[in-house]
Formats: sequence, C-alpha cells, structure tokens
Amino acid sequence: MRLEKCYFCSSTCYPGHGTMFVRNDSKTFRFCRSKCHKNFKMKRNPRKVRWTKAFRKAAGKEMTIDSTFQFEKRRNIPVRYDRDLMATTIKALKRSQEIKAKRERVFFKNRMSGNKLRQKTENQALVQKHIHLVDTPAIKNLAQVQKMAQKNKLMDVDMS
Amino acid sequence: MGRLRRSRAHHGIRDIQRKYRTKRYMRDLDQIHDDIQPENASKFEKPELDPELPGLGQFYCIPCAKHYINKESLQEHQKGKIHKKRVKLLKDEPYTQAEADAAAGLQRADNKVKKAKAEAMMDVSETNTTGTSA
Repeated sequence: MRLEKCYFCSSTCYPGHGTMFVRNDSKTFRFCRSKCHKNFKMKRNPRKVRWTKAFRKAAGKEMTIDSTFQFEKRRNIPVRYDRDLMATTIKALKRSQEIKAKRERVFFKNRMSGNKLRQKTENQALVQKHIHLVDTPAIKNLAQVQKMAQKNKLMDVDMS
Repeated sequence: MGRLRRSRAHHGIRDIQRKYRTKRYMRDLDQIHDDIQPENASKFEKPELDPELPGLGQFYCIPCAKHYINKESLQEHQKGKIHKKRVKLLKDEPYTQAEADAAAGLQRADNKVKKAKAEAMMDVSETNTTGTSA
C-alpha cells in the first residue's frame, strides 16, 4: 500500500480518503480532502496559500535542509523481509524522529528570537507617540525621561 | 494585517460554482508554461480552421489559453491587465507534485541509487568471492 502525498497541502492521502483528479493529458493529482481539491480547481498556487506545507517551506517558516529528511523516500525497489533489519529500522526511526523534533524546536526558537525585543520597541514607540493621552503624571514623566535617555544615547552614538 | 472579511460570502453563487467545475476545465498554468517554451512555438504558428472556435481558432492567446474573434480584439486583450497579469504569473516555475512531496519531507525515488548501489555491490562480489548480502 502506497501512501501518496496530497498535491495541494502535502499531507498524506490515506486509503479511502480524498479524491484523484485525472487531467485530459493523463496527469494525475491526488487530494487529501475536498478542501484541497476545491482550491486546486480555483487554480490557486499552493506556494502562495498560507496553510500549505509548500508555502511554509518556501517562506522559511519550517526547516527545509536537514539530514533527517534523507530517510523518507519513495521506495521502488522492494526489500526482502528481514527480521533484524525491521527491528533496527524501527529503532532507528524512533531515534531519528527524536532528533528531528529537537532540531525543529531549535529552528522555531531561532525564528522567534528577537520578536520580544521588536514588540517591546514597537510598544514603546506607540506610547511615545500617544503620550498626550496619558493622564497619570508619574507615567508621563517616566516616558519623557525614557525618551530623553534614548535621545542622549543616539547623540552619544553620533558623537563617537 | 489580518482578514476582516466574512468567510463563505460567495457560497450560494451559481456561476462561481459552475466556473470551478472540472467539466469545463481550462488549461493549467503548468501546461501553458510548456506551451510558451520556444521549442513548442511551431505548434501555434499555423492553426487549423476550426468552425467550432471563436474566430475559426485563428486568434489564440497562448498565455491566457483563449481564442478571440479577430485580430483587433486579440490585440486589445494583449494590451490589458488580465493578460499582463497572466504573463507575470507564467514567469514563475510551475508547481509540481515533486515540490509537494519535498515539502512533506519525502525524497525522490530510489531508482538511481539502486543502480549505483548495484554496481558497488557487483564490485564487492567480484573482489570477495564469498559474496556479501545486504
């Protein structure tokens, strides 16, 4: 039994699920669900639809180049059943999955790093911009002090 | 940045439903991508007279896969936004099943690897008369 990948979203098409479209030039397209089929019929490009795997990979949202991707392959050459081979394969699969998960976590962390700092500076800028709306004098003063500090910092940078 | 539109707003529109039926399936972008290649240009040079098609099938816009009734309307179309948009779309490499597989983490088939492996195995079996099983 071969589990094909969906043309649109790259998820697995399990037996009894989804549809296959055969175009009049005999090219076949598999879809995991009607959502993917409908989007295909609308002639959308999966690379530009944000929920597909193709988009996420193309836009750098997910890990693309890694040695853990080397294992999964379409096997056209049958392998004779071997109990030992099977046992070691299963063992290795578990281990490789672990490594892959770990690397993905690291990738995500790297991707998200710097977000907090950016958010903070954006928030500060927003407060500075709308400082006239703030009623509490203490906060107003604090914000102004911060602004001055920032200005001084900039001046220092310019001077040096 | 997010979408503020209500979803499923065009659900009941009959013409849209009909448009996306595969009954009148138009040429896909990857097919058109092949059409516009210079080696396939000869196919479209001298079209046959076809009474079924608009303009007897003589005025065909290859990127848009559409027939026009005369030269003027074809030229008018080629000046327009829709045509230019399509030409721009066709500059990208077309999406393939191979790309979908790659995105899912599925590598290419092992056909080629087999050849190299088989040769290597042959070499090994030639040097070792005992023969190794893998």
